[in-house]
Amino acid sequence: MDYAIETFHLTKIFSDWWGRVRVYAVDDLNLQIRYNEVFGLLGPNGSGKTTTLKLLLGLLHPTKGRSLVLGGDGADPKINARIGFLPEESYLYRYLNARETLDFYGRLFGLPAKVRKMRIEALLDMVGLTAVANRPVGTYSKGMARRIGLAQALINDPDLLILDEPTTGLDPIGTRQIKDLILKLAQRGKTILLCSHLLADVEDVCDRISILYGGKVQAQGQVKDLLQQTDKRQIITDAITDSAVEKIKQIIEAEHAECVVSSPMERLETFFIKTVTAAQEQAQPTSGAVSTTRLGDFLTGEPAKESILDKLVSAPMSGQAAPKPPANPPTTSWRTVETSPVQPDEQLLRKLTEPVKPSPSDAAADRKVKTQEVEHKPPEEQEIKKSILDQLTGGTSAGHTDKQQPDKSASGEGANA
Amino acid sequence: MRSIWAVATNTIKQALRMKMAAAFIVLLLVLLPVIGFTATGDGTIKGRLQTFVSYGLSLTSLLLCLLTVIASVYSLTSDIQQRQIYTVITKPIRRFQLLLGKLLGVILLDVALLVLFAAIIYAITLYIPKFAGATGEDIAQLNNEFFTARAGLTPAEADVTQDVLNMYKELEKGGQLDQVFPDLSRQEIIDQLTTQKKLEKRAAAVGQDLLWEFHNVRPLDPNESLFIRFKYDVSINPPDSQVYSQWLVGDYRQVKYASKPETRIYSFERKDPIRTFREIQAPADAVAQDGYLAVGFLNVPLNNTVVIFPLEDGLEVLYKADTFTANFARAVLLILLRLIFLACLGTFAASFLSFPVAILLCLVFFATASFSGFVIESFDFLGGNMSSVYSYTLKPIISILPQFDKVNPARSLVPGRLLSWSLVGRTAGLMVCIKAVLLLLLGLLIFSYREIAKIIV
Repeated sequence: MDYAIETFHLTKIFSDWWGRVRVYAVDDLNLQIRYNEVFGLLGPNGSGKTTTLKLLLGLLHPTKGRSLVLGGDGADPKINARIGFLPEESYLYRYLNARETLDFYGRLFGLPAKVRKMRIEALLDMVGLTAVANRPVGTYSKGMARRIGLAQALINDPDLLILDEPTTGLDPIGTRQIKDLILKLAQRGKTILLCSHLLADVEDVCDRISILYGGKVQAQGQVKDLLQQTDKRQIITDAITDSAVEKIKQIIEAEHAECVVSSPMERLETFFIKTVTAAQEQAQPTSGAVSTTRLGDFLTGEPAKESILDKLVSAPMSGQAAPKPPANPPTTSWRTVETSPVQPDEQLLRKLTEPVKPSPSDAAADRKVKTQEVEHKPPEEQEIKKSILDQLTGGTSAGHTDKQQPDKSASGEGANA
Repeated sequence: MRSIWAVATNTIKQALRMKMAAAFIVLLLVLLPVIGFTATGDGTIKGRLQTFVSYGLSLTSLLLCLLTVIASVYSLTSDIQQRQIYTVITKPIRRFQLLLGKLLGVILLDVALLVLFAAIIYAITLYIPKFAGATGEDIAQLNNEFFTARAGLTPAEADVTQDVLNMYKELEKGGQLDQVFPDLSRQEIIDQLTTQKKLEKRAAAVGQDLLWEFHNVRPLDPNESLFIRFKYDVSINPPDSQVYSQWLVGDYRQVKYASKPETRIYSFERKDPIRTFREIQAPADAVAQDGYLAVGFLNVPLNNTVVIFPLEDGLEVLYKADTFTANFARAVLLILLRLIFLACLGTFAASFLSFPVAILLCLVFFATASFSGFVIESFDFLGGNMSSVYSYTLKPIISILPQFDKVNPARSLVPGRLLSWSLVGRTAGLMVCIKAVLLLLLGLLIFSYREIAKIIV
């Protein structure tokens, strides 16, 4: 009972009409996911990730073995009341609008009308759909549907969140938001099971991962342990002179080791967010008529996210975040808060991450300090940035350089097996 | 319960917003008034009313039946097909609750639409006589023959079994069987003799009389009329095809026991054409306090023929047992029972079949149920080996289905016949409480144990 999710020799065989075995979708799977852990289930297409989730939730019956979810049966309504589930695509009732959709799910949980109303507004705010909440979800783009799907999974303030490909169809900023959200929920003591083949997502947020291939676990463990190359060292510095580089090279050669010197690349994700945010900043005054939904997609979600968490979780926080209106206001709110218009991305990031600041003890945080410096931020803001970056960019960029190879080797292993 | 209700309201929203219901609603809203103002029937106002009520109710019933089947099947199969069910079933709701919620939604939709359309039909029906400019005389006739709910009593059939057996034995003893009935089996001979004997009991030679006694005659209002509906058959055709007669209607026991008269006995002298339905209108106060009524027929000497009242429909006593409104309400209730059955059928089919297959199954069931009375009867006319093959295979299967044609509400409303509560109750008991509930339970069982997710590796 120490595990949030535990499976025992879980096996699912799909057979044809005559009962002949066709596929081992899941083969003798033994998973142990601890409470308050972000666990990533990775694997190429058709490796049994989604089947595993369906088995856990009772949508499929296992051929052999069994599973425990929150200490019980995943199909039991009492257990279901504590689970939030986002399927691999957002399957929504096309004829309901966003508010009605969430209301319907809220009623399935038996939430009283008052609580439902409050949570629905908070969630809509968080996923940035308040402005379009009265439109039938059938008219939503894939990304918007995904956001509603996510809101739906959170309406019961679940202890266990099961997310199947949470970031498919989302733009990079939406993806960033979801990753931040996952981290925040984890801080609040939630357990999260994440299923994806987008390795960057998993890497950024997961404590432990398991790589599936052919329904079997090929590798499992702490992300750090799996990815760290203990036989290599990386040194990141400010832009030092060539002569200094030569000196360092000499020292390294004395150790009989090789070294490569280059300027580190910025992550595309970071660059993208920076660019889009800058564009928004400039475009705002001229064309106020820029499609509000687009705005909602990108920006309203960000500040709102805090308000969700706040409302859902801690009352005091919500007081600050809630007042911000979603669609157009987001831009204005940054402006007022921020001092330096030259680097809007950081401001945005800071906003997003602020609440997280108090707990920079994450392992990821330490790594990221360095990357931040690489990005040349003004010294006064360094401290703030540090925490921001920890959350948003640092984790990814720190792992970034190391990762390329391990990723390949991991997937290569899987493929070989 | 809350989650059932959430699913039910969602199902109703689905039916309304997906324009499924809209198509049917618009069609009915257009067609009902059109029928109301174009139907002419046989040209009389009564004919017009009969045509409208018959077509209006049948059309409403048919379209709502189709809507029910489609809505109940679509609601569940589309959830599974489009996988919204993944997010629904993983919420704290049990599978049977989901199914019951869908069913409840469809039934509530049916109730709402049925009430709406029944109200429209009722309003138009009441308005037609005014629209058609009915005279006072027309209205009196309509009140007696259409805006009423008449109960009909037919005389109890005489028990002739013993007579027939005696007669058969006599013929057998005399060795005349082969002469009189060549090439017939024993059963066929007995059937013929039975018919013959029964007719004898309903035949009156010249100067003879016939007496029928009825119990439990309960007219709604003794100041209104009751009707003796009859049809003559004759042994020799009279030259003008007319039969002269004297009829007595009243409490015969007063005469029999010479007791003090409490109710009047009415006498009618008539001349009626043969082989045609005729009605004698008599005051309803002829019925005794305890619901007893006797009807006497005298074949007067003016005739030169034996008068026979055919077995099936030779004689019937009709009286107003309830109001048209109450009768109409029960007719609508019958339609609702039918819809509830179909909703259960649809839910059952959807619990394990995909949309097209489930729809097909339901429509086949619906069509069969609509003709099953006729089909089952037709089996009885098959002779020899075929008959036994059918009666052990198809007949029991079809008998399991409800017989929609046997409880057709228009059939009662058109001739202004009483649709009794007991018929409604029996239909409810058999069709809904037994057949529909069994189907539903089976559906719940299947749905609770099936795998919801599609097989995707």
